[in-house]
Amino acid sequence: MAGRRALKAVLIDLSGTLHIEDTAVPGAQEALSRLRKASVAIKFVTNTTKESKRNLLERLQRLNFDVQEKEIFTSLTAARSLLEQRQHRPLLLVEDSALEDFTGIDTSDPNAVVIGLAPDHFNYQTMNKAFRMILDGAPLIAIHKARYYKRKDGLALGPGPFVTGLEYATDCKATVVGKPEKTFFTQALSDLGCSACEAVMIGDDARDDVGGAQNAGMFGILVKTGKYREGDEHKISPPPHLTCDSFPDAVEHILKNLL
Amino acid sequence: MAAAGWPVCAQSLKGVILDMCGVLYDSGDGDGVAIPGSIEAVQRLKRSDLQLRFCTNETQASRDRFVAKLQRLGFDISVKEVFSPAPAAVSVLKERGLRPHLLVYDGLLPEFEGLDQKNPNCVVIGDAAEKFSYENLNDAFRVLIGLDKPLLFSLGQGRYYKETDGLKLDVGVYMKALEYACDVKAQVIGKPSPTFFQSVLNDMGIQPHEALMIGDDLVNDVGGAQSCGMMGVQVRTGKYRASDERHSSVRADGTEDNLSRAVDLLLHHRGQ
Repeated sequence: MAGRRALKAVLIDLSGTLHIEDTAVPGAQEALSRLRKASVAIKFVTNTTKESKRNLLERLQRLNFDVQEKEIFTSLTAARSLLEQRQHRPLLLVEDSALEDFTGIDTSDPNAVVIGLAPDHFNYQTMNKAFRMILDGAPLIAIHKARYYKRKDGLALGPGPFVTGLEYATDCKATVVGKPEKTFFTQALSDLGCSACEAVMIGDDARDDVGGAQNAGMFGILVKTGKYREGDEHKISPPPHLTCDSFPDAVEHILKNLL
Repeated sequence: MAAAGWPVCAQSLKGVILDMCGVLYDSGDGDGVAIPGSIEAVQRLKRSDLQLRFCTNETQASRDRFVAKLQRLGFDISVKEVFSPAPAAVSVLKERGLRPHLLVYDGLLPEFEGLDQKNPNCVVIGDAAEKFSYENLNDAFRVLIGLDKPLLFSLGQGRYYKETDGLKLDVGVYMKALEYACDVKAQVIGKPSPTFFQSVLNDMGIQPHEALMIGDDLVNDVGGAQSCGMMGVQVRTGKYRASDERHSSVRADGTEDNLSRAVDLLLHHRGQ
């Protein structure tokens, strides 16, 4: 029954779904080309706090994926559109590599705090500065709230702990803009002219990709590549619309059943 | 309107506990500055029939040095009257045979001398101020995440405090950060932990309902004291913010402009 709705858009996660580090998932390029021949809009959506769209695009093109920059929507893009929408002038606590996605945004006399993963900025002075701004009413915007991530020398703190600390200090709740937030998915669709029930999301993260998308009213397809672990499909309720081996299988399912 | 209420109940009091930073003085460069009237207020309390203790979550200096600073500012105060988290933490660590990884201000390190700190099996976090760098927090995080059961002690859980150049983040913020990162709940040593307040009451040999806490921190001083059965009065100095008087869960028994005013009312109602 779900399959009877006319599908208009497909959202695709990047890392873990199309590629793992610098290797493409086998058959993913061809599957993407097949999908492009169908009449659906495509967007590539990812949570990143340090890679600009241009960085992401260059990697995808290196791996021979047929992608255009305007089709990429990241948590940084989401942060940017929120800033534009509300006409905030942000204090940007993001790594330098992410700054180019905020080109043109007025950052003078800031009245909002944006936090990504930014070890260089997570020092006492900058945290105090951010804290005082929030206490004086500046909104706190988090690119996402990951607890930690893996770096070459071991585990390292993500932005989440610092966001949580500032929330505690100021008794406020951060606006999180990345996956799995509902607004992330609706914003990704906003220029495609379709509603959530006409879209499907493909990703390897049960909670952030599939759970988030389904919570926003979309279909979610979980692929068993990247960070997928046995049994992940049971960790969300309702379960994924479909769980399949990899991106090419997901495309196959869409072409056969959802169009 | 607020003035009429609490001092009436104060007649049955036997002891007063004073918070220090933000009540006696504002910290900042050097020793900071005494809050006007506080030096005399402490003197008047000492001359009264009330017992007096000081209770601080100060963890930037050892208790000896901290008390010396207060004396330089002009306060009549001695080490044995002051309760602070680090000595309390040291007794817990010794009791449980724990080896701490310390994320504390350098000035506090002397309190922990003599404890085995090799191959740590817990983390103790205090107000480390500039030492709250990403790398230092990350080191503490890695110790915790590497333990079978992460064990985190926090010397207080304050959100922020006031220095002469503005509000500064306190240890609670970084405690929350590590709690979130490792999915653990920290054990708080210091205010508002009931154990900590109780140790002060024991020292005075009085019951909770015979004691009054005066502080600038609504949640940790006032709320913490109230949940032990003590009275709690907030002063409008230090980190006080007008919004405290509309707080959703903590309501002070009284709110006064400063310590001097609170002591005036208290002693007046006791006929002193």
